Amino acid sequence: MNKEILVRLEKLNQLRLTEEQEAETLAFFAEREADMAIVDAVDTQEVERMVHVMPLENVLREDRAIEPFEREALQAGAPAAEDGYWQVPRTVD
Amino acid sequence: MRYETVIGLEVHVELATDSKIFCSCANRSGDEQNSHVCPACCGMPGMLPVTNKRAVDLGMTAGMMLNCHINRTTTFDKKSYYYPDLPGSYQTTQWFSPVAVNGTVRIETENGPKDIRVKQIHMEEDAGKLVHDTLSNTTLVDFNRTSVPLIEIVSQPDLSSADEVVAYLERLRSLLRFAKVSECRMELGTMRCDVNLSIRPEGSDKLGVRTEMKNMNSISAIRRAIAYEVDRHIDAIENGTEELVQETRRWDDEKGMSFAMRNKETAGDYRYFPDPNVMPIVIDDEWYGRIQGTLPPFPEVKKQQLIDQGLTEYDADLLTQSRVLCDCYDAAFAASGLAKECANWIATNCLSILKKNGQTMDDLEIDGDRLGQLVKLVGDGVVSNANAKKILEVMFEEDVDPKAYAEANDMIVSNDTDAVMDVIRGIVAANEKDANDFRGGNEKAINPLFGKCMKELKGNCAPQQLREMLIACIMEG
Ligand SMILES: [Zn+2]
Repeated sequence: MNKEILVRLEKLNQLRLTEEQEAETLAFFAEREADMAIVDAVDTQEVERMVHVMPLENVLREDRAIEPFEREALQAGAPAAEDGYWQVPRTVD
Repeated sequence: MRYETVIGLEVHVELATDSKIFCSCANRSGDEQNSHVCPACCGMPGMLPVTNKRAVDLGMTAGMMLNCHINRTTTFDKKSYYYPDLPGSYQTTQWFSPVAVNGTVRIETENGPKDIRVKQIHMEEDAGKLVHDTLSNTTLVDFNRTSVPLIEIVSQPDLSSADEVVAYLERLRSLLRFAKVSECRMELGTMRCDVNLSIRPEGSDKLGVRTEMKNMNSISAIRRAIAYEVDRHIDAIENGTEELVQETRRWDDEKGMSFAMRNKETAGDYRYFPDPNVMPIVIDDEWYGRIQGTLPPFPEVKKQQLIDQGLTEYDADLLTQSRVLCDCYDAAFAASGLAKECANWIATNCLSILKKNGQTMDDLEIDGDRLGQLVKLVGDGVVSNANAKKILEVMFEEDVDPKAYAEANDMIVSNDTDAVMDVIRGIVAANEKDANDFRGGNEKAINPLFGKCMKELKGNCAPQQLREMLIACIMEG
């Protein structure tokens, strides 16, 4: 992680960080990279790649629709809602 | 210089499931905003997705209909991007092991049949809908469509004209509709298409700069968009009107132009990685065989079967536009043995009731077996055509046995010709003027008499027979 990558990620995620926040974030990632270095040092050549913690497959459900969740309850924590919609800053594609 | 066009398509098709792909909210469009939402499809933290088995069935069905290899272990991955229509900031899709790969779709072109290669079919969840609210200058978000199951069918760049694109889309539509994978209605957004297009000097094997066009919601818009984009590319190359760049463009059908959208994020920016919350799907032989066993014949094979049963090309064509119609016909034919009559009852009477109710052919819900019984009652002269139409209307409302209903409602054609003759005599005697007019050569004068007889008999008489008996009675008198 470096400043250049961070700026690109900010753009992709539509975030605007202050210089102070940027410094904090870079420091945070530097620590994580140090942690990763410890893990990377372990010889894992013989270890099979793991994506799922539990050895489960075919966790499936039947195609049945159930009663919807209450909209107002879901929107209770939203910063803004309007006429049953979530409301966000104007987004131009 | 002469150029050739190179086109690849990404076609999104909404799967015809009752519920969403990773939660149990209803998969239904057109309802009030955010009326089919839950913490899972709203991207609330801590929710676990559980895959809808039917969505996988339909993904496999699509793969088999398009001659694909089905990956027996298929997995889901996260595709990260940040946009308000995507509440979790990632879309669950298939990147590393999609459900189906390496298929072909055969289309007819003016130079004969051509196979279009299908690179892959992957399952994924749809995003929500954004409404731009000019009044408050904000964007309003509806998550009803979020997590609705989709398949994306990715073709190789094997298409070389708008005609081929249209032929390919129509073929896809026909196959997927017939296999009940999706209704594939572009006007409703259940089938959507992105066009990747480039041009190159004829005969060259190098690909030119490729642009991707989105937002086309009809076949005719796709034709216009391709024509426009080809012209734009040629103009840029020959006249230097602009520098072509690889980008995503939005087609504006009203203006008849395409416009550049946000810079296309490259695959790396989507940061695809396996979704640890969605467990792998392993398709064993039993599951594979079960789906294979449900595949319909190709529509054109079924059409020929129907023609062999005695249907006209027109009727066979109509019935094979929808598996629902076709299944109804098959059941009706099995129950009655009357091919043409069954086709006719579906093509005219059933479709006109559906139309009156504002429904499409896929909404036909009546029992084909019972429709066959009704058609047979008419064929055997047990129920008149007019009364059978009334019974059909009832069958659309409730599940009734046509014969029992006809008996209970006095709709059985009378075999008692003496009784019919008594009715006719009574009517003729009471309407001497019409009878005399008819005898005097006014043929139309029989119509009111005929109508009165039919009414008195409650429609329970074959019209031709009634007419003959009525004429005989008048002329006797
Ligand atoms: Zn949900």
